[in-house]
Amino acid sequence: MPKLIIDHIPVEVPAGTSVLEAAKSVGIWIPHFCYHPALGSVGACRLCAVKMVDGPVKGIQMSCMLPAQDGMVVSTTDPEALKMRSLVIEWLMTNHPHDCPVCDEGGECLLQDYTVAGGHGIRRYEGKKRTHENQDLGPYIEHEMNRCIQCYRCVRFYQDFAGGSDFGVMGSARRVYYGRFQEGKLESPFSGNLVDICPTGVFTDKTARFRARYWDYEMAPSVCPHCSLGCNTVPAARYRELLKTIARENPAVNGPFICDRGRFSNAAVNDPARPRMPLVDGKEASWDEALDALMLRITELEEVYGPGSLAVVGSPRLPLEGNILLARLAELLGAGYLCYFADREEGERVAAAVSLLAEGRAASMADVRKADCVVILEADLRDEGPMMLLAVRQAWRSGAPVFLVGKHAPLEQARAVSVEAIELNIIEEVPLAIFERAVVICGTRNSTPAAIALLARAEAKIAPLLPGPNAFGAGLLAREHGAVTLAEAAASGKVKGILAVEADIPEELLARVPFVVALDWLPTETVRRAQVVLPTAAWVEADGTYVSFEGRAQRFRKVMAPGLPIRGLPARYHASPDKSAPFHPPRVHRSVPPGGDLRPAWRVVAELVERFGGERVEELFEGRWEQLRDLDPEGGGVRLLG
Amino acid sequence: MAPFTKPMPIFNDLKALATGLFVTWKHIFRRPVTVEYPDAKRTPYPRYRARIVLTRDPDGGERCVACYLCSAACPVDCISMEAAEGEGGRRYARWFRINFSRCIFCGLCAEACPTLAIQMTPDYEICERDVMELVYEKEDLLIDGCGKDPEYNFYRHAGIGVVNPRGGNPDEEPPVDVRGLMP
Repeated sequence: MPKLIIDHIPVEVPAGTSVLEAAKSVGIWIPHFCYHPALGSVGACRLCAVKMVDGPVKGIQMSCMLPAQDGMVVSTTDPEALKMRSLVIEWLMTNHPHDCPVCDEGGECLLQDYTVAGGHGIRRYEGKKRTHENQDLGPYIEHEMNRCIQCYRCVRFYQDFAGGSDFGVMGSARRVYYGRFQEGKLESPFSGNLVDICPTGVFTDKTARFRARYWDYEMAPSVCPHCSLGCNTVPAARYRELLKTIARENPAVNGPFICDRGRFSNAAVNDPARPRMPLVDGKEASWDEALDALMLRITELEEVYGPGSLAVVGSPRLPLEGNILLARLAELLGAGYLCYFADREEGERVAAAVSLLAEGRAASMADVRKADCVVILEADLRDEGPMMLLAVRQAWRSGAPVFLVGKHAPLEQARAVSVEAIELNIIEEVPLAIFERAVVICGTRNSTPAAIALLARAEAKIAPLLPGPNAFGAGLLAREHGAVTLAEAAASGKVKGILAVEADIPEELLARVPFVVALDWLPTETVRRAQVVLPTAAWVEADGTYVSFEGRAQRFRKVMAPGLPIRGLPARYHASPDKSAPFHPPRVHRSVPPGGDLRPAWRVVAELVERFGGERVEELFEGRWEQLRDLDPEGGGVRLLG
Repeated sequence: MAPFTKPMPIFNDLKALATGLFVTWKHIFRRPVTVEYPDAKRTPYPRYRARIVLTRDPDGGERCVACYLCSAACPVDCISMEAAEGEGGRRYARWFRINFSRCIFCGLCAEACPTLAIQMTPDYEICERDVMELVYEKEDLLIDGCGKDPEYNFYRHAGIGVVNPRGGNPDEEPPVDVRGLMP
C-alpha cells in the first residue's frame, strides 16, 4: 500500500493506483480527458499534468500514467503544472471550430469547462485549422469530427469495452479520425454511450438534436423500464417532452453505461396516442365520473355473475407500489382472483426463478463482470437484457470462458460484442465445478420452468432474466399472496371481468370476458378494448420502485409533469382553435396542462381501495417491505433476498 | 436627558434656510426639463436599452441560432425558445418568445448573445392594454436588418460548414483525406 502526499494531504492507496485516482479518492480533481474509470488511462490528452515535488520521480508528470509510489510528494497547483495544463488546453483548441452556440454539448462539455477554467480566451495560434468530413452514423448519433480532441475515449469504449468492430480510429498525426470504416450506421447495441463518453461534442444525441440545454432539463434519478436489469438512468425532459436518457453510474448494476434500447426508447412517453383522459365506453369523462361508473359496474358484475367473478391483474411492468396495493384491493373487493402474470408459463418461470434466488444465489451484473466462467442458458441477451451482454464481455476480457447452452441461445449475441463463445447442448456439459465464480445467466422467455428448477443443483450463482422491470417484485407478491396466473384463472371459466393495471391481457381473453377495465399509460390493445379506461402516469411522471432481476429494489423519482408535449400540440389547445396550430406554446393560461390530468397507478388503486370502504392508504410499505420506505434513489438499491 | 449646554446657533440656521429658499426660487424661474409626452418626445441615444429585436446577418439569414444563452442569462426568465435544425444543418429558433411584461431591459441577453442576433433598440414605447399583447413571438421580434455590427455572420467563423462548405472558411484547411498516406 503506497503512501504519498498530494497537495499536503497524506493518501494511502492500493498498489497500482494511479496518482490521478489517488487524488480523486481524497477529493482532489485533476483535470483530464482521456482517462475514464471504466476505460483506464492512455496518456493521450496530456491534461492531467502535475508537479512531482519529491520522491522517486520528479518534475512534470502525467498523473494518469504514473502509479502511486511510496514517498511521492505531488503538487497539483504548482505554477509549472498550471502553466503546462493551460498550454495543453490552448493547443487542443487550435483546431476547434468555435461553434459552441450550435453544439449540443455546450453547457455539458468538458472541453468547454476546462478551457474556461484554464483561462484560455484569446487565440494566439495563427495557422489554419484542420477540418474533417463527417459520417452519417445512423438515426441515433450525430457526428462532428471538427470538434475532436483525439482523446481516444470513443474507440477504447467501442472496440475494447463493447467489442464493436465497425468503428475505430484512422489516419495519423494531426489527421487522426474516429469513424466507421465503411458507410453505414453504428452496429454495436451500446453505441449510444459514445454520447456520454465523448468529452466534447463529436458524438451527440441525434434524437434530441438542438432541443434543449443541460441547465434547462428536468432531470431526476431513475431506473430503466425496458428490461429486468434495472440499469440506473437520468431521463431528461423539456417542454413536457422526454428528450434524452443519460446513464447514471451504479457500480453493482450497470456501471457507467446503458444500452441503446434504454437510451433511445423515449418516444412512448411523448406519444400523443397515449390515454390522457378517463374513458367510459369510449367517451371522455372526469375522474370522479369514471371512478363512479367503475364502482357501479363492478357491483353490477357481482350481482349478475355472482361474487368472485372479477380478476384483478397486476403486471411485471407496474411499479411495486401498485402491485402491493392491488392485493389489498383484491381482498377488499372479494375479487375471485389476484393475478400478476397473464401467461401461465411466464408466471411459472418467474416463480421458479424467484424461488431459486431465495437461496441467496443471485448474481448481480457486477458479479457477472467479475465471473471466471459465464454460462448463457436459453437466452438471447441482445433481446432480454442487452447490458448483461456488456457485462459478459467484461468477464470474457479478463479470461472467463463463455458457454452458450440450448437452442435459444444464438451465437450472434456473442458476435455482437466480439466474444468467442463455446456452444453446448445441455448445461451438464459445462464443467462448472472447476470454476470459483461461475455465473449462469438464464433466460425465462424460452426455457421451461423445469429447466430453471434444475439450476438449483448447479454450483454457480444465477442471473435469471425476467420479463419486465418489476417482474421480480410481481413474482414475490404472487408467491406471498398465492396468486394464480390470469390464464389459469380464466380456464376455470368464472372470470367475467378483468381489472388490468398496466397489464397486457392476451387478445383471446379480451374477447371472452364481457367487462374489462384498463389502467395504463400505454395505448395497448387492452386499453382499446376496455369499457373503462383510467390513464396513469408513466414511470418518469411519478415516483416508484422496481425490483430488478437480482431482487434489487430501486427507487426512481418523478422527472417531469405529465402533459401533451408543446411540440405538436393540437390546434384546439391554442388561442385560435380554428387556425392551424402555431409552433409556439399556446397563448392561453391553464391550471392543468393539456393531457396532464394523469395519476400514478398506485394512487388510482388507493382511491379505489378507499371508495370500496377500505382504510385510507397511508403507508404502502408494511411488513416485509418496510425496508423500502426511505429508499434512496441514489443509494444503489436494496437487495430483497440475500 | 442631557440639558442644552450650548446656545442655539441661530445664525447658522437662518443661513441654511436662505440657501434652501434660494435654490427653490432659482428652479422656479428655470426652463423645465420634462417634455409634454406624448406631444413631444425625446430622442434616446443609439445605445439606449429598450425593445429587443432579433436581427439578420448580412446574407439575410436569421442570426439567432437558438443557443438558449439569452434565456439562461435573463434574470427574470422572460425569454423562451426552442431550437430546430433547418436546411444545411443550420440551427434556428422554431419559436422564440420574449415576455415584455416581465422584461426589465437589463441588456444581459444582448450581452450573452454569441451571434449578435438579439439587440436592444431605443424604442421605449411599449405599452398595451392587454398584457398578452406584450408577449412577443418570433414574427414580432425578427427584423429585416443587421442592426449593430452589420458585417458579422456567425457561420462564417464557426467551422462546421453551414454557410461555407466544410473547410471553406478563411482560417481553415480543406478537409483531410483520412485514407491518404501523405504526411
